[in-house]
Parts: sequence; structure tokens; C-alpha cells
Amino acid sequence: MNAMLKPQIDNAPLQARGISKRYDGRPVLDAVDFTLPEGAVLGLIGRNGAGKSTLIRALMGLIEVDAGSATVLGEPALAMGDRVKEQLGYVPQQPDALGWLRIDEMFALLSGFYPRWDQAFVDSQLERARLPRDRALAKLSPGERQQVALIRALAVRPRLLVLDEPAAALDPVARRELLREIALRAGESGTSVLFSTHIVSDLERVASHVAFLHEGRLLLQAPLDDLKERCARLWLPGTASPPRIAGEISRRPQQAFGGWSLVVQQRDGRWPVEAQQPGARLEALGLEDLFVEIAE
Amino acid sequence: MDASLLTITPGAAEPIYRQIVEQLRRMIAGGQLPPGELLPSVREVAGFHAINPMTVSRAYSLLEGEGLLERLRGTGMAVAQRARRARSEAERMSLLEPRLHDLARAARELELPAGRVLRRLGELLEDGE
Repeated sequence: MNAMLKPQIDNAPLQARGISKRYDGRPVLDAVDFTLPEGAVLGLIGRNGAGKSTLIRALMGLIEVDAGSATVLGEPALAMGDRVKEQLGYVPQQPDALGWLRIDEMFALLSGFYPRWDQAFVDSQLERARLPRDRALAKLSPGERQQVALIRALAVRPRLLVLDEPAAALDPVARRELLREIALRAGESGTSVLFSTHIVSDLERVASHVAFLHEGRLLLQAPLDDLKERCARLWLPGTASPPRIAGEISRRPQQAFGGWSLVVQQRDGRWPVEAQQPGARLEALGLEDLFVEIAE
Repeated sequence: MDASLLTITPGAAEPIYRQIVEQLRRMIAGGQLPPGELLPSVREVAGFHAINPMTVSRAYSLLEGEGLLERLRGTGMAVAQRARRARSEAERMSLLEPRLHDLARAARELELPAGRVLRRLGELLEDGE
């Protein structure tokens, strides 16, 4: 893969080198190199079971990996100091900590730990989401629980925000609100954001960057606009598998078409010459199609 | 101008910044946005459509670079005073470019010879005169 897909950035808020992890002998992450550029909103996308949550937990230093290392705001993920933790907002896929506390008790407790705690934000968000302050966290619905966890992560005014499937349990209105909040935080406070999702349309609204995780490997990592402008689907007629094309990302046979579809990328601003072959056709590709082509 | 006048299709193959650029270009060329018209702030557009503010900034900066928008001190971005008159042929041609691409693709899909398509297009262009 070319340089566009492998950004090398020093001092990135979140970075991983060669992370591998096996569960019961089965590889879940396979030598993953990952960089979240400063100020980026990076959408980590992949099918269920692709390893998204494992990657995020490894980046957050919550699991030991078999190989490789990760850094969070410049410190090793497995040995983060208080300075880093204060600037980090993290929401796991199923937030379940402190379940016996009431919503207001939980926020009162946490506000003491964080110097930049934004109580006005907490109050306005609880109001807007109509969350009952006196209810125990364990008694909330999954969607409510997720909203509380998101409010908690944003109230820290984090420099780095990490969200694992943040929209999964939210209804469409709450989801749109969340996306708006993520987008504006990134744009105005310079917060760097990593969020995982399998809902492509969520990602397309707010992401500046996208990373595809497939079967434990990071297949693509690029600015979203570049990806849309420089990747396309190339239809090639013929039953035999076409020879490998420079800049090819994936390929699969297309019986109904009577040929092959390949995802190709521009090199030096040009499409592969194979696109000029008789019967060949280049087609612009939305992210959803790109995802399907690569992940099938 | 109101942020709701922009139509954003996140799932399109065309990046969102380009969608904004193309729509504003057309609205300015068509006179819907007259010179001096104030544009919604980056925050308003980003907030209304729940999109990344950097995407909106990128679109505005591109149009500013083309001289279609100008930055007003303190009040934001407005349609440039000279935006409408000085439109070169190349600029007007670039507005047509996406449609030409669509046409070319459809013609290829139908496996039509280029000469035939061009002849017909020529007839249509002359009809209009």
C-alpha cells in the first residue's frame, strides 16, 4: 500500500505498532499499525467480530497484547499516568461501571477527579436527554446507559475521545445529537476522536479519517475525502482472474456481470491503465460499497 | 443564506466538501446567492447537518481561493462582489464537468459509439440557439 494509506505521524494522540492478539489460539489482531492524527475524527469500521473492540481495548491499555505496543497521548497504554487519564474520555461498548450509583451520585463522584469537569454541560445534557437524575445506573435501559456514559466522557472536556460503538444502542435522534457533538468538539476544541462503528452513514457524516479493520488486519487507513476521490470500482469483463493490478485493494468475481469487480486506487493521480481495456468501466464508490467490496 | 439550503448526502461517492462546493458554485452562478450575501457560519452548517466543521471550512476556503467567496472581517464569509461577472469559459465549463462525466458513463454502458453521441449532442446544442 502506498504512503497515503500509511500515515506516519509523530506525537499522534493515539498510536499502535505491530499489535497482535490471540484468543484461544485464534488471531484477533494481526500486526496492526494504527495512528490517530491530532485533531482527526477517525471512524474505525469493520464487520462484527473484525476485532474493533479488541483493538480499542488494546489501545486503551485494558488488555495485554501478545506483540506490539500502543501509546496514548505520548505515554505507554499499559502505564498511563493521571495527566493522561484526565485528558481521556473513553466509552466502552457496554458501559457497566458503578451500576449501584444514581446518575447524580455518579457525576458528583467523578467531577472531583477531573480538573476540567464541565458540570453545566452535564446538566444541560441530562435535561435534553430527559434522563432521571435519581435513578440507579443499573436500572437504566441500554440506550440511556450509553447516553450517560457519553455525557460522562464529554464532560471531562477530553483532548482524546475514544468511543466503542457509541451509537449502537441509541435511537436515531440521539445518534444524530451524538454525531453533532462529536463533530463540533473536534472542530472547536481540537479534540481528537476515535470511534468504532459498523454503521457507515454515521461515520461518513463526521469522520475526517477512516480505518478498515477486517479479520484482525487493518486494510486501509486514510483521510475519508481522499478515499472517496482516489478509490473506485473497476469492472473487468472475462471469466479468468485478471492479472494483478498496481494499486489494487481487493477483487471478487461478479457472475451477473460476467467478469470481475476490483477496488483500485489512483497512483500519482492516475487510474490504472486496465481501465482503458474494452468493456472495462470505472465507477465512483461510496464508502458503504467500498466497505462491502473489501469485507466480502 | 440558511444552512438548510445545502443538501448533504453522506453516502454519496462525492466527498461532502465537494458537495458543498458544487452547490454553492451553482447557487452563485445562478444568482440565487447574490454578491454580498452572507453565508452561514461553519458552526451553523456543521451543527445543522451534523458534519465535521473541518469539511465545511475546506469547502469555504476552496471557494475563497477561487474568488467566489470573500472573508469579511468579524462577520464571516460572503459571496464576493465580483463573483458573478468575471466567470471565464473554463470556469463555466467546469460546472458542466460532472454532467459530462455522467453522460460519458451512460454512453459507455450502452456501448454507443462516441461519434454518434457527439453528433446528437451537437444537434441538441444547435437546437437551442
